[in-house]
Amino acid sequence: MNGAWFTFHFQDFSYSFLSILFEGIPFLLLGSLVSGAIDAFVPAEVFSRLLPKNKIAAIALSGMLGAIFPMCECGSVVVTRRFIRKGLPIASAVTYMLSAPIVNPVVALSTFAAFRGQSPWVMMSLRLMLGFLLAVTVGFIVQQAPMGAILQQSIVDSIPGVRRRTAFRMSAAPREEGGDLNIRLEGGGWRFKILAAVQSATSDFLDVAFFLVVGAAITSVFNTAVNQQVIQPLATNPLLATVAMMVLRFMLALCSTSDAFIAASFVSFPFVAKLAFLVFGAMFDIKLFFLYGIIFKRWFILALGIGLFVAVAVLCLRLTVLNL
Amino acid sequence: MTKAFSRWLPCATLFAWSFILLYFYFSGRIHALLHPIFRPFALVAGAIMLLLAACFLFIPATAECCTDEGCGHALGRGIGGRLLTFLILLLPMCAAAAFSPGGYGASTILNRGVINDASALGGAGAKRAAALASSAAAAASSAAAAANTSSVTEPALPTQDGSTPPPQQAQAQQPEPTDYLHKSKDGNIILQVIDLLYAAQDTSLRGDFENKRVEFIGQYMPDTVNNINGKRFKVVRMLMVCCAADARPVAAVVETEQPSNIPEMSWVKVVGDATFPIEGGRNLAVVKATSVTVTDPPEETMLY
Repeated sequence: MNGAWFTFHFQDFSYSFLSILFEGIPFLLLGSLVSGAIDAFVPAEVFSRLLPKNKIAAIALSGMLGAIFPMCECGSVVVTRRFIRKGLPIASAVTYMLSAPIVNPVVALSTFAAFRGQSPWVMMSLRLMLGFLLAVTVGFIVQQAPMGAILQQSIVDSIPGVRRRTAFRMSAAPREEGGDLNIRLEGGGWRFKILAAVQSATSDFLDVAFFLVVGAAITSVFNTAVNQQVIQPLATNPLLATVAMMVLRFMLALCSTSDAFIAASFVSFPFVAKLAFLVFGAMFDIKLFFLYGIIFKRWFILALGIGLFVAVAVLCLRLTVLNL
Repeated sequence: MTKAFSRWLPCATLFAWSFILLYFYFSGRIHALLHPIFRPFALVAGAIMLLLAACFLFIPATAECCTDEGCGHALGRGIGGRLLTFLILLLPMCAAAAFSPGGYGASTILNRGVINDASALGGAGAKRAAALASSAAAAASSAAAAANTSSVTEPALPTQDGSTPPPQQAQAQQPEPTDYLHKSKDGNIILQVIDLLYAAQDTSLRGDFENKRVEFIGQYMPDTVNNINGKRFKVVRMLMVCCAADARPVAAVVETEQPSNIPEMSWVKVVGDATFPIEGGRNLAVVKATSVTVTDPPEETMLY
């Protein structure tokens, strides 16, 4: 390794920080607009009606929703929060949130393209399968837990049936009408619904953008100031290499649509370490650590992170027997 | 006061972000930040944020969500929380937009590890490599076709003394294998740093470039690795996949007899002969420079 392991330059930091925001903002905005539209136009019971009554089938189906409703990890958090507020079972919502950034056609194609010459079919298939498997597993675990123990109280309060709060108000709806936005929207016209969707989307966007800014800042420090060759000596040991790649992915907070290109460039690292990088990072990174805070309690986020880290590492290391 | 925060601060934030996105897009500064595929998204996002800000500004709405007990926006409650939220949303982005340069400094490039082996790039830059390879293949097949056509021997006219001269072949019309490459007025092959890296890996491409006069630009960096005799430096370009945050530095080695006093990270134009000596068990792209001149940065500072 050449030079010091940490050298901070504000200009490089700001350049990296700005580029992450420029890349992330459009997708965050898209997620917020979808969320706002769902809020204003989709009745609360729709999701419950659409999903199969069988809980196992419902969770499994949620794990595949990303294939028809693709969303990167930034956007999926906002949409998931809205899904929960609209009455989608939490287990299904969490499953969708974790799987959508992996089990979607854009990520499949980018993974395949990035690993050309490095077993692209195997890498793409394993990434999608492990992502789906882990998301569904977390969904089943979440299904066993009480809602109040996992979700932020404000989210619990806003779920249909347990809702006590009012959503934001607009002048078009007199305050005396009270109640939540859904109740008021039922009697509102299209203009009112569109305005409600816009304001809901804006609130969601600014709320989540806060965490994107914080995550992007931390990522940019690591991205520019830390000498990434520090992990190079770990490449020869599968366990250390896998752990190092997962930590690196956590800190880099890349977009799941493009992280495969970065993983593929670590040619000296074992295949399974790169797989762990791709599976773990799309479900949990430093940016998501903050973003998940808009839905879940802190203890759950920590447990989710640790659980996913261990599960991904163990699964990927088990795959070393395949000599990939 | 709370109403003012509810209405004006989101509006100001959206306007500021929208302005920054649109300014970067229309001024061209976005070229250094995003891959061309992602640039239109930034434009659309900027325009939508402008609309959202206008909605907040002109349509009476109180957005009282964050005044409620059960507000889901964690930092939205209370004036202090709102102010902190919007300062964090506004200040870092504005500061970054104001101070961000058009590229990375030397320390970040070194921290990321300079790549001079195309196999370390994975699929990144593969589009460029594929284009190069297909152009080379197309040129080779057209050269072969031309050679076949020209190999048809034309009957020679008898000379005045009655002897028959050797058959004439249209050798002059046969294209060079490197005709698919773009050339400068001086006849130098104009290429990118990454082309040299791919050529070092590929036997046929290597044949097309080897000992040919080439011309390329990049950023000057001293070479501290492959530089025993002190005559070498690196010419670096950043290879971007999505955005500048994921860009990785790729470099060709340049060898020159002239001592160089070029400032680090300056943009330079190198003219020289491409060679691919075996070093460290593989072919390394080394350009023996005949001239190295400081130049302006290109419009697209990144490679894709």
